[in-house]
Amino acid sequence: MADFLQNCLDGIATGAAYALLALGFTLIFGVLRRLNLSYGPSIMAGVFAGTALYMGFNAGLAEIAIATVIGAVVVGAYIERLCFWAIRKDMAVASMVSSFVIWMQIEEAVTLLFPDRTYAFPGILADAVVEFGPFFLRASSLAMLAIAAIAVLGLLALIYRTHFGLAVRAVSENPEAARVAGVNTGLVTFLAFACASALGGLAGFLIAAGDQQITPLFGLWATFKGLIAMMLGGMGSIPGAVLGGLLLGVVEANALWYLGVETRDLVAYMLLFVVLTFRPGGLMGQAALMARRAAESRV
Amino acid sequence: MLDDHLIGVLSNMGMISFIALSAYLVLVVGEISFGQQAFFAISAYASGIASAMWGWPFLAAVLWGAAIAGLGGLLLAIPTLRIRGLYFAIATLAFAEMVRLALEIFTYQVEVDGELVGPDGSEGFRDIRYIYEADISAGEFLLVILGLLAVTLAIILWIERTRLGAILRMVGEDPALARLQGVNVNLAKIATVAAAGLVAGIGGALYAHLNTYVEPKIFNVMLGVHGLAYGLIGGLGTAFGPLLGVALDIGVLESTRAFSGYRMIVFGGLVAVLLIVRPRGLLDEAAVYRIRRFLLRKHAGD
Amino acid sequence: MLEVAGLVTNYGMIEALKGVDISAAEGRITCVLGPNGAGKTTLLMTIAGLLRPRRGSVTFEGRDITGASSTTVVRQGLALVPENRLVFPDMTVRENLVAGAYTRLASERGEAMADLDRMLERFPVLQARVNANAGTLSGGEQQMLAVARALMTKPRCLLMDEPSLGLAPLIVAEVFNIIRELNEAGTTILLVEQNAHMALTVAHHFFLLDQGRVAFDGDPGTMAEDEVIQRAYLGSAGG
Repeated sequence: MADFLQNCLDGIATGAAYALLALGFTLIFGVLRRLNLSYGPSIMAGVFAGTALYMGFNAGLAEIAIATVIGAVVVGAYIERLCFWAIRKDMAVASMVSSFVIWMQIEEAVTLLFPDRTYAFPGILADAVVEFGPFFLRASSLAMLAIAAIAVLGLLALIYRTHFGLAVRAVSENPEAARVAGVNTGLVTFLAFACASALGGLAGFLIAAGDQQITPLFGLWATFKGLIAMMLGGMGSIPGAVLGGLLLGVVEANALWYLGVETRDLVAYMLLFVVLTFRPGGLMGQAALMARRAAESRV
Repeated sequence: MLDDHLIGVLSNMGMISFIALSAYLVLVVGEISFGQQAFFAISAYASGIASAMWGWPFLAAVLWGAAIAGLGGLLLAIPTLRIRGLYFAIATLAFAEMVRLALEIFTYQVEVDGELVGPDGSEGFRDIRYIYEADISAGEFLLVILGLLAVTLAIILWIERTRLGAILRMVGEDPALARLQGVNVNLAKIATVAAAGLVAGIGGALYAHLNTYVEPKIFNVMLGVHGLAYGLIGGLGTAFGPLLGVALDIGVLESTRAFSGYRMIVFGGLVAVLLIVRPRGLLDEAAVYRIRRFLLRKHAGD
Repeated sequence: MLEVAGLVTNYGMIEALKGVDISAAEGRITCVLGPNGAGKTTLLMTIAGLLRPRRGSVTFEGRDITGASSTTVVRQGLALVPENRLVFPDMTVRENLVAGAYTRLASERGEAMADLDRMLERFPVLQARVNANAGTLSGGEQQMLAVARALMTKPRCLLMDEPSLGLAPLIVAEVFNIIRELNEAGTTILLVEQNAHMALTVAHHFFLLDQGRVAFDGDPGTMAEDEVIQRAYLGSAGG
């Protein structure tokens, strides 16, 4: 039992990172209704911008964090213009495949600039451990949890309390109606994409600081972990992204402990497959999906 | 006659073409699959087991592998019948990763001629030596690959010209309309996904025997997404589209080592621009229609 | 007030408008009639900046707004009540109305919020459901919400696309009452309808659109005398 609880604690810490990745994914999916496979690679590019600053100029944590976020936003903007804005809205597969080839492009560009396998990244509160009775947690995990919580609250405030958030929700729910109401949907989509990239950059910074290293494979990892967490929680749902991320973290931590490293990912994908086939809307998305179907069928 | 490098490239193109065709078949009925590499993997293992461990002849092993992959297609198609679009795409991704990770722990070995042979988890599956023992040269094996590819392509092209082909395209474009026309949409989708599994399976069996060695990590998501991308690049209007995509990427760019080192930077950019201009690929429906009309006119003029 | 000249617009591959000239006079209700596929919706969408015309011009209050973005058009004082209502289903009624005033939020937030209160007074059905999600409203209530949302942009001219579509007769009558009241309060209205009988009770001027061209242009009196229209659109027993 004590093992299980300790696993859950570890899982929540990892899950916080997954949740941040899923939040960005969900925001992009909400306004675009299309999948951005290059989301992880854009974050990876941002983290490498941070690493460059760290290695080249021995910059401080704050500067590195800012560089990471800016890098992710710049690459994200490139992806948005090329793979989404420029492609007809009803060609979702073309956008997805386009975002995939751009992923390959980003990965190769980063590998050319950074030819080694791994690069160092500065840690936050590197080796400190916090104990709660019989349980313990790395201080960096605790910092990640706190920052993730603040980011979620900030995002909720942005989406539900500001004019911009109102426009984002309007575009997510019905882009044509949003245009009728005078919302500049292209600009709102671009800005939402930039926000998601910034959020991703923050997540990337925290994860890289936790690991104290970074590799170009981080892009793949971030895309898939974020995607799974988003789908588990329900596409387009903010609470769903948080729940999905935490759930994925907890399940992985327990699978790792009880079943071993080979089985951990297998269990995660099985969980995803079962959720998709039995509750396609995800854990939180189902209620929204049903309400929307009911609304669409009403005359 | 052909040098080894060229034979290697052509063999590679032939085998990847099966995955591209497989992803294309799923696209025809209106779904996206990130997971066709799963069937490639299933068949690579199943056919390898048949030939290397059970002593089956090569062709029987290939058919066996493809059949098991087709069965795998059924296994994917039935539970995912209710879900569509992005949900289906992610479910195929999850399925393929489950297959890959299961192969990472799958161990089944028997003693053949005093040596342990068979899949050994993440160590992979070595010594699928049939074509060496039967003394089949790389050139001869290339002919086998191209022969099987030609047969597969011919069957797909033939189906596309029949009423069944029209029905499948209708299922992809407007399932509600297809249902109104009395088409059993569910059956069409299950059958197509199973057939797509079978097609990818042929490629997987060939791959295992040519390389004599497979390991789970080859069959990762990148393989499947490339297969999907080839259809989008070459065009979704005809089964030649995916082959054109394969030829452009592997045939022209990878093999000639043009832009070596920064190939994906150039290629990725080109494909992204192509998808802006032609979101359904080079050989899209409109292009196929124009080519067909041109050929007919030329034929009539003769 | 609103002048459309020689408008040609493609909808997908089809040329839906083939050179349309219509105008809406200030303070009047102008109605565009026509069968399905005549190009009525395309016409309104082009005026509202949702579709780009290939040729021709749209002028509003003397300003050229041809091909302007929907945001610009809304800011100029033209608002569209789209076909099938298009509300934001997962937002509350109040949020839908605030979203309607989106273009005014930055510059005149206070005034927009005062308009919101007036709007809820004006539409008691919306007041009753103000915190409900718009997706849970009935068809008639959603139509009221769509009208109210368009009014939140403070338009001088309202474009309405088949407001009676799919509504019960009693509710249709109510919608047309609202149209008349809005017009009496000074809003110019360009109405697209298939329901010619209801349109006849409110409109001051008629256009008939057929296969992308204007087939008739006149006032209700002339229209009632026109035999072709009588037979095709008013279904008079004489035919």
